[in-house]
Amino acid sequence: MLSFFNPVLALLQQESERGQVSQMVKAAAHPDLSKFLVIGALLFIIGVAGVLTRRNIIVIFMSIELILNAANLNFIAFSRYLREVGSVNALAGQIFTVFVIVVAAAEAAIGLGIVIALYRNKETIWVDEIDLLKW
Amino acid sequence: MYKYIWLVPLLPLIGAAINGLLGRKFRFSERLIGGIAVGTVALSFLISVAAVYSYGFGGNAQWPNPYLTSQDGFSFNWIPSGAVAINQGAHIASGEAPRFALLNIEWSYQLDPLSSVFMLIVSGVGLCIFVFATGYMHGETGFYRFFAYMGLFMFAMLVLVMGSNFVMMFVGWEGVGLCSYLLIGYYFDRQEAANASRKAFITNRIGDFGFALAIFGVIATFGSAQYVDVFNQAKTFPIELLGHWGILSWIALGLFVGACGKSAQLPLHVWLPDAMAGPTPVSALIHAATMVTAGLYMVTRTNVIFQHSQTMLLVVALVGAATAIFAATIGITQNDIKKVLAYSTVSQLGFMFMACGVGAFAIGIFHVMTHAFFKALMFLGAGSVIHGMHHEQDMRRMGGLKKYMPYTYWTFLAGWLAICGIIPFSGFWSKDEILWKAASTTQIPLGWLVWLVGTIAATCTAFYMTRLVAMTFWGRERFLEAPAGGEADEAHAAAYDKGLTTHDAMRPSAGDRPRHEPGEHVGPVHEDVAAHVATHGHGGHEHGAHMPHESPPSMWVPLAVLALLATIGGFVGIGPAFRSVTGTEHPGGRLHIVTWLDPIIWNPVTREFNATEGAGHEAPATETAHPAPVEAAATVYGNTGFNLAHSVENTTHSEPATEWIFILISLVVAGIGMLLGGLFYVWRPQLAGIWTQRLRPLYVASYNKYWVDEFYGWAITRRTMDAARAVYSFDAKVVDGIVNGVAWLSRLFSRIVGGIDKYFVDGIVNAIAAFIMRLMSPLFRAAQTGFTQNYALVMVLGLMLAVAIFFASDIATAFR
Amino acid sequence: MTLSGYEALFFWIFGLAAIFAGLLTVMARNAVHSALFLISSLVSVAALFVLAHAEFIAGVQILVYVGGVMVLFLFVIMLVNVGAEERGREEIFNNQRQVTAALIFCLLLVAGVLYAVNRGYSGLQILHPKPEVPAEQQVDPSQPKTATGSSQATKNSEGVGNNLYRYGSLPFEIASVLLLVAIIGSVMLARTLKQEASADDVDPETLQEELARDPELVNLEPRIE
Repeated sequence: MLSFFNPVLALLQQESERGQVSQMVKAAAHPDLSKFLVIGALLFIIGVAGVLTRRNIIVIFMSIELILNAANLNFIAFSRYLREVGSVNALAGQIFTVFVIVVAAAEAAIGLGIVIALYRNKETIWVDEIDLLKW
Repeated sequence: MYKYIWLVPLLPLIGAAINGLLGRKFRFSERLIGGIAVGTVALSFLISVAAVYSYGFGGNAQWPNPYLTSQDGFSFNWIPSGAVAINQGAHIASGEAPRFALLNIEWSYQLDPLSSVFMLIVSGVGLCIFVFATGYMHGETGFYRFFAYMGLFMFAMLVLVMGSNFVMMFVGWEGVGLCSYLLIGYYFDRQEAANASRKAFITNRIGDFGFALAIFGVIATFGSAQYVDVFNQAKTFPIELLGHWGILSWIALGLFVGACGKSAQLPLHVWLPDAMAGPTPVSALIHAATMVTAGLYMVTRTNVIFQHSQTMLLVVALVGAATAIFAATIGITQNDIKKVLAYSTVSQLGFMFMACGVGAFAIGIFHVMTHAFFKALMFLGAGSVIHGMHHEQDMRRMGGLKKYMPYTYWTFLAGWLAICGIIPFSGFWSKDEILWKAASTTQIPLGWLVWLVGTIAATCTAFYMTRLVAMTFWGRERFLEAPAGGEADEAHAAAYDKGLTTHDAMRPSAGDRPRHEPGEHVGPVHEDVAAHVATHGHGGHEHGAHMPHESPPSMWVPLAVLALLATIGGFVGIGPAFRSVTGTEHPGGRLHIVTWLDPIIWNPVTREFNATEGAGHEAPATETAHPAPVEAAATVYGNTGFNLAHSVENTTHSEPATEWIFILISLVVAGIGMLLGGLFYVWRPQLAGIWTQRLRPLYVASYNKYWVDEFYGWAITRRTMDAARAVYSFDAKVVDGIVNGVAWLSRLFSRIVGGIDKYFVDGIVNAIAAFIMRLMSPLFRAAQTGFTQNYALVMVLGLMLAVAIFFASDIATAFR
Repeated sequence: MTLSGYEALFFWIFGLAAIFAGLLTVMARNAVHSALFLISSLVSVAALFVLAHAEFIAGVQILVYVGGVMVLFLFVIMLVNVGAEERGREEIFNNQRQVTAALIFCLLLVAGVLYAVNRGYSGLQILHPKPEVPAEQQVDPSQPKTATGSSQATKNSEGVGNNLYRYGSLPFEIASVLLLVAIIGSVMLARTLKQEASADDVDPETLQEELARDPELVNLEPRIE
């Protein structure tokens, strides 16, 4: 079971001939693609936690923006990595990021419009009070 | 000329078709209808005469060989059947493989000695009767119908006697049965006539059943239905003596059953007296001269088969004898003139079968011929009397008609003397020969018994015929004394006087009063019936003011012709007893009836048909052959016991004397009968009443016809109806009950199943559904929180699950 | 793409800032605070973009995402959220079970994601062994210098522009149509009943219900001439 966490720990370190801590320090001193990905993943998870736990609808929307943002970070990190690797279409990540931002903007506009309409009808922004689908 | 015999049946058929189909539509006059009918029959008769003459006596005479019209192409293949396996016969006994024959039933006519005799009788006597009927049926509304049926009858009868195979005979058989039904029921609005016609047809049918079985047997045994084929094969079969019952006995039995039905022998005689409900010409033609003799024709035609079965010969003789005496005793007490003649017919038919039974087939046919003459004569005479007596048929109200109806009287006398058997009238020759042959037969045992019964019956015949003549023509004119008819007539007269009913003559039918023949015109044609009735009036003696009168010439001329025939017709059969007078056994050569019929009679001694192939040598041959077969037959048929003729001959040591003795006996008994009749009804009329009282039981039995009809009604008719009712109730209750019960069971079952389905099955389904619902519903309901984030959580969970599944192998390796 | 030196330092600063701000976004009581924390998170991520040599995208992020979307968020918060504070201390988190379950799942997700990233990265390293690219070569001397004069400008915008308008022109157009639809949709969604009635765009049943609730709306009946 402990071996499961080995890869986790291994993320904190990169290949190095020396000991674990120095490896970790070295890894920290030279953040690599994996660090970008980890940050993106953590942002994603925080966003998911926000969507699932908060009662305020606006905060839920903002958590969704966090999620999208994490995805963007992922794209950019890979775009950089692939440019270094020598991929032909390395900038595709950035292009994709542009579109993600566009879609996020559109979605935010529509979503907030819905929130306004919902607020006008139900006079509430607390999600657990909007349970018309309850049996 | 004999080539054209196929016209003989065809002409009456054409006449009947014209009369029947067009007679009413185009309203033929009586003259036209009568002319067509009589004309066709006359033509038919003339052609028959010419044909028979050329067959037997002409230049190209075919006698003794039979002539079939198929020899000249005047025939057609009527029923082309296929191969028939012959399952009976000698080859089966010998163990050979079954033979096959090609059964083709053709429609062709056969002219041979037997059929020629019948052709002449049927067409000749028929012609006389047709002429009589034109006068008798004058004024009938159904005049055309009568002659249509009569023509159809002539056709059927001629087909019967002229057919060349059994199937054609059967066709004719059924045809005459049908016409008998149609003609007895001519007055179809009378209950009595309808009953009688039905009775006749049904009784006939019983006989036809036996006949049909016999035909099947013939086809199965001989593989053909043609006479020439069958008889040529049959003569090779062994004779089945008394006690040995073989296939030929079976066939003969079936044939005889048919003959009993058609010729009114015991026990199927019941229809003939009732058939007198038809018009008198019908009684004369059908029930005296022709149809009832069809049985005789059949038995004589198949005499090969009968002579092969000694048992059947005995049966035929005994049944004939029993019928003769039975009917004769009934005839003594009957009061209706036609009934007396009917029972007389039955009795005489018994005589004919007696003749056939003892082996004297030719004599039987001879008696057929003479009987046709004198019985038709007497029937027509009775018709004339009835006509002259204005529908009166009860002899108790006749008497002394001698001076009113002379023609009728003198011609009737000829018939009376003939039937009593007085020499030289025709009846004597035939009846005497029958009795002689019965006494001297060596083909069956109990010949003496047959002779004795026949003699007694002859006595009774003479008695009741004399009674009839006496009550009708001699003595007191009783019709003047009492009102015409008994209580019923008095009521009728009274009602007429009160204006409540119309005169008989003005009504098409007078209801069901058996004594009268409604539609019968009152005397000569009265143009103005109403005026006639007004002048003559009704009631009391005035009703009797209708004096009897003579019939018109259309009616008495045929009587005269028949009287002539009854007088001299017997000379074609002068028996061998008179050889001392005539010089030969059978005088007249081919004209002698026995000689003429020889080729078709099978001789059990020589096992061949009698005449030789060549023509012209018959007379000496039969002369010399005659004594031999009599003794030789004894060896063929074994010891037949006591032979009366032989014992008398042993006493007198002279054969001619024996024969004369028997002739004398029959003349004497006839004379005794006549004298007794005269005594009882002419000189001492009161004796009739006294002896009626003394022999009351016998009288009652005889008057009620020995209650045979009542017995049949109880035993057969009602039992059959009971059986029908039982079967019906079985069908209605049991069969229908079963069907309905099945339906009821089905409904019950469906209700049960429906109940099971509704309560049990649906109950289970509902219970399960309710259970599941109660179980799962809260669970599922609980999932519908309406809370979006719950749903989002579930989505995340699902996502993780998908990822885990996707990386399942990796996770497993990581954990290992 | 190993970062080193100051880049590594700024990476760590902005990375942790982003995570921290994100965490606070989710946990802040006040929605405005949440929005502000999100803004800071987004800006940190933009800084990370810069570190990843995606300057143009960083600018776009700040301009569009922060400057547009978050401002919109703030407007809407002002519209709908003001009452929440007045109601006193309102629960910000859902019921216990939901939160517990969410946290458990998120922890599992963390574990899974980290594991996956590690495995993937190690696979990538096998696929693409680390190139020996000195950091200096990243700098293109032909490019003009930046405003401070301390570094060269990169060709990122140019590259993005080339790619976008060449290979991504169709998605670009579709994205613009999407934005158009979003504009129209949001305008339509956010209309009030008054605005809808004057445009004659209300379901008659709903109008009757609203009238029953608020009789003053009769004045809004559209004049049918």
